[in-house]
Amino acid sequence: MIELHERTRRISPTRIHEILLRYGAKSLVDPFMGLPTHLNYLKRHGIAVHGGDVLEWFVRVGEGIVVNDLTILRDHEVAEIVEMIPGRIYALDLFKAWEGVFFTEEQCVYLGVWFDNVRNLRSDGQTGLAILGLWRVFCYWLQKAQEPDEMPDLPPSELAWYYIRQTERWVASNMRRNTVRQSDVMQTLERQRADALLFAPPPRNALHHADPRIWMWEAWWQGNPYFTLEHAYRDTLFGARSNDPAAYQRSIAGILSEAGEYPLLIVTTNESRLGEIEPIVRNARAKVECYAPNDSEIYLIATA
Amino acid sequence: MALFQEADGDPRVALDRLADVLSYYGAVGDAAAELAFGFSLRKAAFARSIAEALEVEAPLLDAVAIAGLMHSVGALGNPALVRESDLPERLATMERWDIPAAGARVCAAIGAIPEHVADIVRWQSEAWDGTGFPDQLRWNGIPVPSVALALADRLVRANEPEEALASIAEEAGRSFAPTHARAFMLWFHRSGAEVEPFTFPRSTLRSEFSDPGDLLLDIADRIDRHLGVAGRARNVLRLSEASAHALGCNAGEIEALRIAALTFGAGELGDAFESTLDPLVRLGLERRAERAVAGARLLEGLPTVAAAAPLVAARAEWFDGTGKPAGLARDMIPIGARILATAIAYDAIDIDTRARPAARRTTAGERLDGAAGTHFDPRVVTAVLDAAKAHA
Repeated sequence: MIELHERTRRISPTRIHEILLRYGAKSLVDPFMGLPTHLNYLKRHGIAVHGGDVLEWFVRVGEGIVVNDLTILRDHEVAEIVEMIPGRIYALDLFKAWEGVFFTEEQCVYLGVWFDNVRNLRSDGQTGLAILGLWRVFCYWLQKAQEPDEMPDLPPSELAWYYIRQTERWVASNMRRNTVRQSDVMQTLERQRADALLFAPPPRNALHHADPRIWMWEAWWQGNPYFTLEHAYRDTLFGARSNDPAAYQRSIAGILSEAGEYPLLIVTTNESRLGEIEPIVRNARAKVECYAPNDSEIYLIATA
Repeated sequence: MALFQEADGDPRVALDRLADVLSYYGAVGDAAAELAFGFSLRKAAFARSIAEALEVEAPLLDAVAIAGLMHSVGALGNPALVRESDLPERLATMERWDIPAAGARVCAAIGAIPEHVADIVRWQSEAWDGTGFPDQLRWNGIPVPSVALALADRLVRANEPEEALASIAEEAGRSFAPTHARAFMLWFHRSGAEVEPFTFPRSTLRSEFSDPGDLLLDIADRIDRHLGVAGRARNVLRLSEASAHALGCNAGEIEALRIAALTFGAGELGDAFESTLDPLVRLGLERRAERAVAGARLLEGLPTVAAAAPLVAARAEWFDGTGKPAGLARDMIPIGARILATAIAYDAIDIDTRARPAARRTTAGERLDGAAGTHFDPRVVTAVLDAAKAHA
């Protein structure tokens, strides 16, 4: 059995939107976007959003709910995702390594079927929506393995149908250009400019504490059950230096230095990490306001 | 704003007034969200009890209850719910997702209530699996006090308590954390879903940070914007107050009239009825009377504002006894209601008159004069027209 995290990072897009409105920012870059549901919210409220992340599945989901303005999955397309298509060849043992460890035999077969089916969808937008919907099924299964008696048994295809259908409600246009890219933080900052930068510094040693629901889904998307986050982060800014406090702080300072041209910088942190992050931000910018609605949500807002 | 008479320095009076105005705000939120009367009171009572079962820290329990009361204040002014909204269903659904965040902003602006209330309201519609709204928080990122509110919401919306129990069990691992669903079931079986009626936790209020009169005025402004008649309550308040002074009303009558002028509009919430119908014609009178009764109902049971309820209820009565809902005539209609009805009519006719071409224009004064003795008390008509002239 795998241990699921007790604490989850809280990103409140409504709060970020309130900050953007207060400072008149109409576009935003988030180079550590993670699952970009917050960018979807901001997009729906008229902000042009640009996200970046190292993990590919986050970027794919971004193509579904951030870049995509129109495309949804109709019933027959969802049907083509959730069940085997006659005549198509499937690698049914692709996730055999997870069988009996994290998932049942049936679940592993479905993971293999879905792995192939999402690759046969017609557009990046649809693929992104499907990945998001199926990820929620994946999370449901992991949770159910922890608490088998507390959650109802739902057939895999029914659960997948339920979650994929739900994703389409997030699809909306803001009549602006919105982008996502698979790149490390510095590349994202170099290639994209906006009124505001949202910077959620990953914790030191973040790789070793990453939620399994996040990295295992990247493993699924890569079709490699032996994938680990070290693979993805090995050559990234934080991946290489995550154990060394001084190098970690230099990395953050480097990002803030690169972000000097952004009129508005929003750094999100929490009570336990404020002492480490705040001095670096204040060192980089002269004008910094600390907005702390609660202990797990603290915003350091730096203006020019 | 000095809406109420002096409290003679008694701090309990200030707290009572604030508690009543906030309770009224909760009821107004329900009406704007098209929820049944009393929804927020039930939700507040359930939420507090469920929060205890979820082991929310004791200091936060009162905040949970107040959040239950204020849960739908964000519905006021929501583009999907405002009068004459014609948004397509898909866009309307997305707009409705913003109700919790808008409610949080309202709560955060009310300095008197505990600061935690705003965030409890903000995240009351989040789902464990991240498919909720507005923030799409997931798993333990959703604060437990907000979960208590979400569970209470299910309970109040269900036709039968067992229906809520079944739906929450069914959605364990999706809308609700399995542990929270289990705690709810234990609570349900222990309590039988019976809780003490909501009583406002006055001790948590900081009356020095909010004036109940200002708050009532703010609510009136938001109601008017929601109904597409911005500034109406302020106009009616001004005309009513000046007329009441001219007619020699006493201080108590004037206070009740002020409150009525700021609250009568709440009865129109959730009603798509055409608001621009001429107030002097009989067409729509029954509907106006229904709104009057609905508006009065929101004030009853709240001592601070209850004196305004009979005035609001009787605002569709006509001086000659042919009005609604009770067919009261002449002095049977409270003087405050006669003034209120005349001021509301003047405001509506005046706006309508100014919108017409000048050549076809009959002044509001002429039209109101024509209805003196039938619809309105002639003395009151004179007073209202004098007040309008003085302001012009």
